[in-house]
Amino acid sequence: MPLDTLIEKTELKKAVAAATQVTFIGSGNEVAAKAILDIGYDGEGYYPITPSCEVGEMVSRAIANGEADMSFVVGTSELAAISVVTGMAIAGGRAVDVTSSQGLMLKAEEMPAISGLGLPVVLNLATRDINAPLNIKNGHSDLMATLGWGWLTFCAPTVQAVYDLNVIAIKVAETVNLPAIVAYDGFHTSHANRRILVFARREDVRRFVGPTPPRLNLLDLEHPHTFGPYMNDDLINTKVQLDEKFKRAYDLIPEVFEAFFQLTGRRYNFVEVYGDPDAEAGLFILNSAGEASKASVDRMRAENKRVKAIIPTVLRPWPEDEMREAIGDTPRLVVAERASQYGAGNYLANELGATLQRAGKTNLLISRTYGIGGLNFRPEDGVELLNLAWHYPSITEDERKLRGYYGAWPGEPGYDPPEIFTPLTAAETTLNANQAKIDFKHLSQMPSRIAKHSACPGCGMFANLNLFMRGIDGNVVFLFNTGCGMVVTTGFPNTSFKTPYFHNLFHNGASTATGVVEMYRRFRAQGRIKDEITFIVVSGDGGDDIGMDQVIGSALRNDPFIMLEYDNKGYMNTGGQLCYTGFKGERFTNAPLGKMGQGKQQHSKDIIEILRGTNSPYLFTAAESNPRDMIAKARKAQAMVRAGNFAFGKVFSVCPLNWGAEDSKGNEIVDRAVKSCLFPLYEIENGITHLNYDPQASGRKISVQAAFELMGTAFSHLTKEQFAGLTREIQDETDRRWDRLKELATNPKL
Amino acid sequence: MTTFNTNVQLPFQDDLGFCNVLMSAIGGDGANMAAKLLFKVCVTYLDLDGAYDAKYGSEKKGTPTDVSLRFCKFGTSVRESGPTNRPHILCIFRDALIRPLALNRGLQKNALVIANTRRSPEEIRDDLRLHSGTICCLDATRIALETNSRLNIPILVLLAKFLQIPMETLRKVVGETWPRASTANLQAFDRALGSFAQKRFEADGKYPLVPPAEPRGRIGYMNMNEGGAINATTHLNLSSSMPSASINPLPDFHAEICTHCGLCMLACSDPGAIVWDDKKMIAIDAVYCKGCMRCVEACPDTKKGKALTAPAELAVA
Repeated sequence: MPLDTLIEKTELKKAVAAATQVTFIGSGNEVAAKAILDIGYDGEGYYPITPSCEVGEMVSRAIANGEADMSFVVGTSELAAISVVTGMAIAGGRAVDVTSSQGLMLKAEEMPAISGLGLPVVLNLATRDINAPLNIKNGHSDLMATLGWGWLTFCAPTVQAVYDLNVIAIKVAETVNLPAIVAYDGFHTSHANRRILVFARREDVRRFVGPTPPRLNLLDLEHPHTFGPYMNDDLINTKVQLDEKFKRAYDLIPEVFEAFFQLTGRRYNFVEVYGDPDAEAGLFILNSAGEASKASVDRMRAENKRVKAIIPTVLRPWPEDEMREAIGDTPRLVVAERASQYGAGNYLANELGATLQRAGKTNLLISRTYGIGGLNFRPEDGVELLNLAWHYPSITEDERKLRGYYGAWPGEPGYDPPEIFTPLTAAETTLNANQAKIDFKHLSQMPSRIAKHSACPGCGMFANLNLFMRGIDGNVVFLFNTGCGMVVTTGFPNTSFKTPYFHNLFHNGASTATGVVEMYRRFRAQGRIKDEITFIVVSGDGGDDIGMDQVIGSALRNDPFIMLEYDNKGYMNTGGQLCYTGFKGERFTNAPLGKMGQGKQQHSKDIIEILRGTNSPYLFTAAESNPRDMIAKARKAQAMVRAGNFAFGKVFSVCPLNWGAEDSKGNEIVDRAVKSCLFPLYEIENGITHLNYDPQASGRKISVQAAFELMGTAFSHLTKEQFAGLTREIQDETDRRWDRLKELATNPKL
Repeated sequence: MTTFNTNVQLPFQDDLGFCNVLMSAIGGDGANMAAKLLFKVCVTYLDLDGAYDAKYGSEKKGTPTDVSLRFCKFGTSVRESGPTNRPHILCIFRDALIRPLALNRGLQKNALVIANTRRSPEEIRDDLRLHSGTICCLDATRIALETNSRLNIPILVLLAKFLQIPMETLRKVVGETWPRASTANLQAFDRALGSFAQKRFEADGKYPLVPPAEPRGRIGYMNMNEGGAINATTHLNLSSSMPSASINPLPDFHAEICTHCGLCMLACSDPGAIVWDDKKMIAIDAVYCKGCMRCVEACPDTKKGKALTAPAELAVA
């Protein structure tokens, strides 16, 4: 479709009619979900990441309750989720996604493809810093990374704006065929509960947004098109097209803002100026800190200082004229950014500088990076930054730097903390060698490699680690995937690990371990390392959803480390979202129960059986209810690794918090999971399957219902009559898998 | 349109027009639920507006958490986000948190403190090192236990009383929010209102005003390891800042019954909690144990009974 027919101004005008607004109380995430539901999307692709998780949870709850009719797909990763969205959009659907931080980074591959394809999808971005060390709090490094990706970018400083800009963004996006980001501050806005106004009637929102305008799509059989072709020299022309669309968006956005104002009484502009237009000092600052800066301006003006805050609403298209006018003749401004370009001028400071330079202006821009990692920005901080601009000519040489950080600290000179612990030795941790028997009293002498941690009482992960590690001798290096396990052990400046430990992001543990063991073997061969080391990767089941390919890679290469998956049947660190290892019918925050919802819709992913296809030499399941078996498997896994092989183990791990189970009952819960064959104990050694415990043969097999009884509120509905059909289905599938496993175990050729 | 009750006068107001409330609790206490409910009541039924900001990060059961509420008269611009660091009102769900978290930091003069404790206002003042204000003590744990309610209800009720929120409105909303616990909660209302001890402390110079906590550790950009690497030999979590891992009571250990079978050790989820010496179990270490009672479940019942038993009084969940 030619670009010039896309903007239908007359259509836009028709939507203008005052629409009743009512009070709504909610957080930034809740009102983003409310907007999604009010707009009426065809589908959402979703993957949980803090702090944006709740948006998908609330949408899925509305679907489960029969209050929304839309497709909702939980991807196996952020990249999967956004690709689902691409699929929805190329099929002609109206599609939305939410993310934050590294989630956005994992989507990065797909982001410029979406704008290149001209797909008008909306991405809600609850901003969060990107980095190692890991931090889950606010920062704009994710947002800033997107600026060249060809997405319209709206910034919502308040909870109210999150709702409003969602409605506005889809309207603009679908009119010009560009994707749009609505960025709001992680935690500062996503978790801030406020009273806002929303449309009383969903029809009013839908009338304003209008139906999805027709566009080329994959399901149009009468007009078959090839999307995503290979392109050589012509590619530059697509970039011109993209740029032209941004020009159209620039013309269109004020009209949509005006139409929205007519409808709601709420006015948005490209950029908001608060304070004196002819101020002597200014502060240019995004989102929640921009909003807080208004209080700073009030305080300064009370002291008769003419100052202003400049808070942009739109970053893409870059509203050059409006930005220049907002700055006006104010001689000095601090441009404060929750991001840094390290060793270069900051993102927006550079852009503003170029804007001023093109107009021949000489306002002084003082750049400061602030608020990284969720550091709060209070009105007194705004006063300090405005005062920096105000007093700039008279401050000391040291303070006069034009680029710098606000709110960092140097640390205490001469701080020299005492040694409080002597590293473990291989000798004191070697207790299994030459022990034919498993003697618990003997193993009581095994020093724990993990010190105090802050996991919930009764956490299954540490019960498993505590037990498993008693069967592992000698020097150990841990590698953890992201999850509760790393969060509750390594809060800076303290650590719970007595051994060397490395947490690499989310799902990368297996490949990272591969790199580490490669160097270990190399350095050992060179004689640079004398000590024997066992490498253990610890991952949640979530890490093996998103990181499945990397686990398979390590298994295929037979890289010598142990990978231990603590399977707690969900994304528990982020608040109990669906993971594909979860049982069918299990209740999650993004797979709730309701009129139309019965929890997770698929049977549990069988990762050991998936890995069977790699022909890895040692695969096993283990359970704390069978401690002797677990220690035997730990010993065997270590022997396998010492012989140069990969070993993968899956342990059933209770999550009392998100399962709603009793803290004390972990061991019995696991015992029932084993006896019901929901979690059979077996191992595959060089392709041969051994059942380690056969509850059926000993007459101890119980029903899945009996297992679910004790597992807490995420499962207890499955014991009720109302869900009998679903429970029967789980029983049948469990029995089918169990019967198959028995067959595999009887014949070494299978 | 809701009719606002316009008679509410906030007990405190700062220069921006806000009354700041901080709740200090541990994950699972229901502080977030209480705050969310109170916020809803205030902005729906009263002519108040404001902000409710939960603490950042995932809430693990048993770890300290705080919740911030800021109230203003309707029409005041709500601009700041993030939790308050200058509370006028402090609600302490667990008095054991007072010292390790230094809860007096940022507390304003003439503050109001509501504490769940068995101690007296005088004792709490000394523990908290309160500059000045009113301390209101109640045994919310006992009330919750005896009325089969939750810890957050008695504290919520007292907070609402001091904010002059009409009790009838609160009763109504609490009843609607938790219909199944309605009777229990309403009993807890009456018990809370009838059983607190209140005392006012003037600015007598006994304790100074303490500024808000700032995120300024001893390690900064001048002396931090590359990438924030932590030296285990100097920064291992051995006892950390909390002298005890748990606010929950710990299991009772009866050494004379113990057969040193090791089953408790195998079920334990807090490495270090079960202390062994020379192949004999000798104690529970309070620095590590979180009181989950996994070991009590695992401990075999012998002729002499169990060596590990749950304490007589378990705290309310």
